[in-house]
Amino acid sequence: MKKILLVLKNELTTIISRPSFWLALVGLPLVGALIFTGIGAINKSASATQTVSQVFSGPQDTRPEGYADLSGIIRQIPESVPPATFVAYPNETSTRQALAAGEISAFYIVPADYIQKGEITYIRPDFNPLASRGDQSNLFTWVVQVNLAGGDILFTNLVNGPLKVDETSLAVIASPDENNPLALWTPYIITIIFYMLIVGSASLLLSNISKEKENRVIEILLTSVTPRQLLTGKILGLGIVGLGQTVFWFGTSYILLNLSGRTFQLPSAIHLPISFLAWGLVFFILGYAVYASLMAGLGALAPNLREASQATFVITIPLIIPLFLSSSIFMQAPNGTIATVLSLFPLSAPVAMMARLSAGGVAWWQPLLAAALLAATAVLIVRAVAGMFRAQALLSGQAFKLKTYLRALAGKM
Amino acid sequence: MPAVDLSHIAKSFGPVKAVDDVSFSIEKGELFGLLGPNGAGKTTCLRVMLDIFKPESGSVAILGGPMNESKKDRIGYMPEERGLYQDIPLERCLTYLGSLKGLSPAEVKQRAAGYLERFDLTAHKTKKVKELSKGMQQKAQVIATLLYQPELLIVDEPFAGLDPVNTQMVMDLLREQHAQGVTIILCSHQMHQVEELCDRIVLIDHGKVMLYGALDDIRRQFSAHAVTVRTGDKIPALKGVERIEPVNGTVKLHLSPGTQPQEVLRSLVAQNINLEQFEISMPTLDEIFIRVVQGEGAAA
Repeated sequence: MKKILLVLKNELTTIISRPSFWLALVGLPLVGALIFTGIGAINKSASATQTVSQVFSGPQDTRPEGYADLSGIIRQIPESVPPATFVAYPNETSTRQALAAGEISAFYIVPADYIQKGEITYIRPDFNPLASRGDQSNLFTWVVQVNLAGGDILFTNLVNGPLKVDETSLAVIASPDENNPLALWTPYIITIIFYMLIVGSASLLLSNISKEKENRVIEILLTSVTPRQLLTGKILGLGIVGLGQTVFWFGTSYILLNLSGRTFQLPSAIHLPISFLAWGLVFFILGYAVYASLMAGLGALAPNLREASQATFVITIPLIIPLFLSSSIFMQAPNGTIATVLSLFPLSAPVAMMARLSAGGVAWWQPLLAAALLAATAVLIVRAVAGMFRAQALLSGQAFKLKTYLRALAGKM
Repeated sequence: MPAVDLSHIAKSFGPVKAVDDVSFSIEKGELFGLLGPNGAGKTTCLRVMLDIFKPESGSVAILGGPMNESKKDRIGYMPEERGLYQDIPLERCLTYLGSLKGLSPAEVKQRAAGYLERFDLTAHKTKKVKELSKGMQQKAQVIATLLYQPELLIVDEPFAGLDPVNTQMVMDLLREQHAQGVTIILCSHQMHQVEELCDRIVLIDHGKVMLYGALDDIRRQFSAHAVTVRTGDKIPALKGVERIEPVNGTVKLHLSPGTQPQEVLRSLVAQNINLEQFEISMPTLDEIFIRVVQGEGAAA
């Protein structure tokens, strides 16, 4: 245990004594904070999305938008639309003149055959796909809808939202609102975050082992510590760094955003209970243990970091699969057969189970089973990779072969 | 009880038999030479000894039995391919390697100070290892190996990359350790140093033991039937001497079969030849090495 702690301490000391570590740790949130603080000073009342949009498009245009209704369907502007949001023009020419004169920021042309084709042209002076169009486009859609419904606002509301379902979930973990696109995208976002956290932290171990191999230090270390002690110390040390870095980034982002006048709140449509955070911690730690060990084994067998890096794709395939399927399987059927199998299969579980948990409705025993299987896999892989450290010296300098790696993992070396 | 006992060790890497039925013992406190050409199997023997490799057959006893974790702290190993952390200061590198052998940072600091001073590295202890010259790194590696005062010291090519002054310094250090009762295994190609330091050797070639025993016995075994004479007089024709060969200011007398060196000495004295030196000609270890490796010697 003492030697594990010594290895752990050395890994921590080595990493935190690097200027590049502090640059990444402090620099990333600092740069983000500077950007948001700067923009926050420009417009404190804007939403975060609008703020980001303003970075690319400049300040939001407060001028009205014009429209030329050639079809004659717009007979009224509903009272809910603020006055001077839209200005009517008789034809396209006069609308263009108003745009050229700077009276309006953009305009809509509702053609004479709109009822037949359903097409409206929107014209603005610049082209910027990242620019925010504010609320006007939604408002204009609303204006058209109300007029199509003969000015009946109540009827238009019902057409837009014919069902108002009061949904009560019987599952322990509440399901998010399926009608809310943001809630549907949550599993996708969670998949990406967990993939990046696990692969990013595990990759630290790959470069660490590869460097020690290139430096020829490993042979000396193995005369003092067992491969398992070495591996465990490294996994724990670099895991603490990865976890600490993540917590620091999230923490500082939260604090700095608040200081800059923003609030960081998950939208109400996303229900992430405390148990989700606890499972997140469990699956991160176990997933990291598995993938860090696999990366360490790779680093041990490959003669250098370049060859090792080329093989990382093969190792991370089980994590990439849920990533690819996240927009289809995990967003649409998070509790279907494929999603369930992927969330229980140990190599894809760290990402897949978290994606399912974020979607909700997971049976209580499934995360327990997945964590148990993942823990057992972590123990087996740590053992197998510890065995590779002896063989590493044996294979030193040889080109990396996936077959050899898989044989070593299976203990056939 | 020997400090190291290898018995019929065999180890293969794929089709290559790196070590084949190797046996030898090293007594406690001995300075033992492990010799062999490149690829002979020396490093594999050392790795088997250190439990880095498991042998396919045979047994290893080290410091009185099989290797275990506590014994690792009593063994100092300096591999041929030197290994130090390149991106950290030398002092921290030594502290870490020392701590893995059970030393506290204060102990490392205290012990390292003496060695750093002796090897003229004190001024460089805060530099990153990669900023040191090759020779400096070599000396740092020696310090890292000796720091925890091992009972068994295994040094693989300790003179590689050192200038003559530092080579002498390392040789003195090894002699010191030997005088303090440390068992030393010296693995080297530099026969001159081995000859100076070791009492017994084992020579391995193609994974097999070719020579094993006391250095003097081995040299005697390979000695030509000849004597070396140093004199200012001209040596006359002598009974029992087949050929007279001048060698670096001396004369080598090749004896006919059955002639004893004492007979030649008596003849020289009888003929009033002033002798400054008279000795039985012994081959150097270099000569023995070359003869064995080129296939002249028989397996031990």
